[in-house]
Amino acid sequence: MEKVVQQTDYDALSCRLAAISKGYLPSVAFQVQRCNYHGYKEMHMEYLHSLKSVSRRIHSKIFRAMQNSFPVMNYGTYLRTVSIDIQINDFLKSHSKFQNVQIINLGCGSDLRMIPIIKNFTNVTYIDIDYKDSIEMKRKILDQNRALKKALESDDDGETNRYKLISCDLNDEAQTVRTLSESTSSDSPTIVISECVLCYMDDHASKQLISVVLDIYKTGIWISYDPIGGSKFSDRFGIIMQSNLRESRHLEMPTLMIYNSKETYSSRFANCNVEIKDMWDIFENDIPKEEISRLKSLQFLDEVEELKIMQTHYVLLKASW
Amino acid sequence: MDMDLDVPMHDAIEEQLSPTIDEDKNGGERDDAGGNQLTTINTTNPNGDDEDDDVDLNVGGGSGIADHKSAKPLELNSSNINQLDQWIEYLSKCQILSEDDVAKLCKMAVDVLQFEENVKPINVPVTICGDVHGQFHDLIELFKIGGPCPDTNYLFMGDYVDRGYYSVETVSYLVAMKVRYPHRITILRGNHESRQITQVYGFYDECLRKYGSAAVWKMFTDLFDYFPITALVDNKIFCLHGGLSPMIETVDQVRELNRIQEVPHEGPMCDLLWSDPDDRGGWGISPRGAGFTFGQDISEQFNHTNDLSLIARAHQLVMEGYAWSHQQNVVTIFSAPNYCYRCGNQAAIMEVDENHSRQFLQYDPSVRPGEPAVSRKTPDYFL
Repeated sequence: MEKVVQQTDYDALSCRLAAISKGYLPSVAFQVQRCNYHGYKEMHMEYLHSLKSVSRRIHSKIFRAMQNSFPVMNYGTYLRTVSIDIQINDFLKSHSKFQNVQIINLGCGSDLRMIPIIKNFTNVTYIDIDYKDSIEMKRKILDQNRALKKALESDDDGETNRYKLISCDLNDEAQTVRTLSESTSSDSPTIVISECVLCYMDDHASKQLISVVLDIYKTGIWISYDPIGGSKFSDRFGIIMQSNLRESRHLEMPTLMIYNSKETYSSRFANCNVEIKDMWDIFENDIPKEEISRLKSLQFLDEVEELKIMQTHYVLLKASW
Repeated sequence: MDMDLDVPMHDAIEEQLSPTIDEDKNGGERDDAGGNQLTTINTTNPNGDDEDDDVDLNVGGGSGIADHKSAKPLELNSSNINQLDQWIEYLSKCQILSEDDVAKLCKMAVDVLQFEENVKPINVPVTICGDVHGQFHDLIELFKIGGPCPDTNYLFMGDYVDRGYYSVETVSYLVAMKVRYPHRITILRGNHESRQITQVYGFYDECLRKYGSAAVWKMFTDLFDYFPITALVDNKIFCLHGGLSPMIETVDQVRELNRIQEVPHEGPMCDLLWSDPDDRGGWGISPRGAGFTFGQDISEQFNHTNDLSLIARAHQLVMEGYAWSHQQNVVTIFSAPNYCYRCGNQAAIMEVDENHSRQFLQYDPSVRPGEPAVSRKTPDYFL
């Protein structure tokens, strides 16, 4: 199961690369102007390039997958990426430059958000956490790529002490507590990111993870992106998703039908102040007209209803405590 | 810079990414950016065989299937009936024809379809079907639900290819049925029966994968140009893939169009294949980037002007397989259950009997016998 879950990072990466290659990302309005991300495309190309020398097999898998991505997937990747970027950025901007803020990306995979964020916010410590194999791969790639390495050495002394890559099995409560206590500060305002992480954990382990994290850090926000199975009687999306992923990849989503709606998903963060939207809400209400027409100009979207079905089954939650 | 054999791959990505720099600058201008995007797809296809590298895939006619068109409709005789029956039997088991047989089939189909009108007249009873999208096993299910062809007359409203994994089998089967029973089955053109769209949504890649070259894709997309674009059931039900066009007020105006061409980016033919009904009145901009949305006022006016009782169309996923809109001036029919193997929708077909009464038959996905689960590609999810 561990390996199967790790492999979902290749899906996320190839989706992001596909969205970049078709021009969905970076979004000038959101990522460049609002979040001040620069060299977004380049850093992803560098990462992909170095991935090839670390693993030919994974590289060619990702390369193939990114060629065959449908517009409906590119739209979803766009929505997921920019909406998380905005949440992080808004929180960071609401804090003084002199206050240390830490970001803990649980199940970080190949996510490269830390690069622009480390550069833009000198008060940020960024901790990427994932399974051992994923962390080793990411470390190798970042180590051997000069441009990426340099981008992370933002301090004058050339040290990368504001960025940490740490391996940890988040299903293991004791290990998680130990790891987080050793490498993070419980006093700093903290952004926790879980992007398609909780969905692969069983109910007990995910509850433990949430409670451990909320216990350790005094104050912060948790940004979580996950699929929800759907709560309407006639809604078969979640059941079909579970069986598709089980049949073809042996991938399980144990809580997809437990936390199957915005309400039930929010209930996981009962003691927090929770805001939750599904990705279709975000598409309909939070993306300006000009940006929608930019997306429309990139590829013909052949089926809007399909986009709606998919995006109403993914949520973005922000829990503050 | 490493010098290993895989370097071209890296270069290919750079090449693919460079156009997006300009696209960023053009963001917001929707004029022709979509078109540019689609025409550049081919240059980056990893499977692209060498012979296509210098050929513009969006120009038709290269396959030769229409080089020797007959001056009169194809006549069926015992020899070609025999041939067609063999093909149909083979295809019904979800096996593909050889490239040579596809060429023969498409040539015969040109000599059937070129004589059909833009507005194909159809008599009742007929069973009207929507998008199929390469879901071959569900198409076989459709014929079980609706009754076998030629015992039942069928009208399909386009979108046979793309998205599902068996576009080749699906379109081959329907075209073979069309040639074998030309007065029993009608196959209209959908927006996916197009060179450009099939390069984005799967049919092109599937042809490369199953035949090792783009030859079969070229034959079929050349054939698509001959598909009729609308049908008229007993002068009362106007059937088409997408919807109405602000440039078309009467059915006669559809008859005037030159349809034998790639689906254009704009104009009446594009609209008929791309437009959608909408709750808002009047004409609106389509969220799809082609065609328009049209309101109830438009549908009512069109039906009134042309003395029609109904517009039947496909093109949109509807969860129950069919959906009324515009106070029963328009019906949407969608015949691909569990669309893309993940949407969880029902499919439907609409029977219209001798007395013009209508009945919807809904169905779920077939169990897909003979399709081992392990070999199936996972439908895409965000993971």
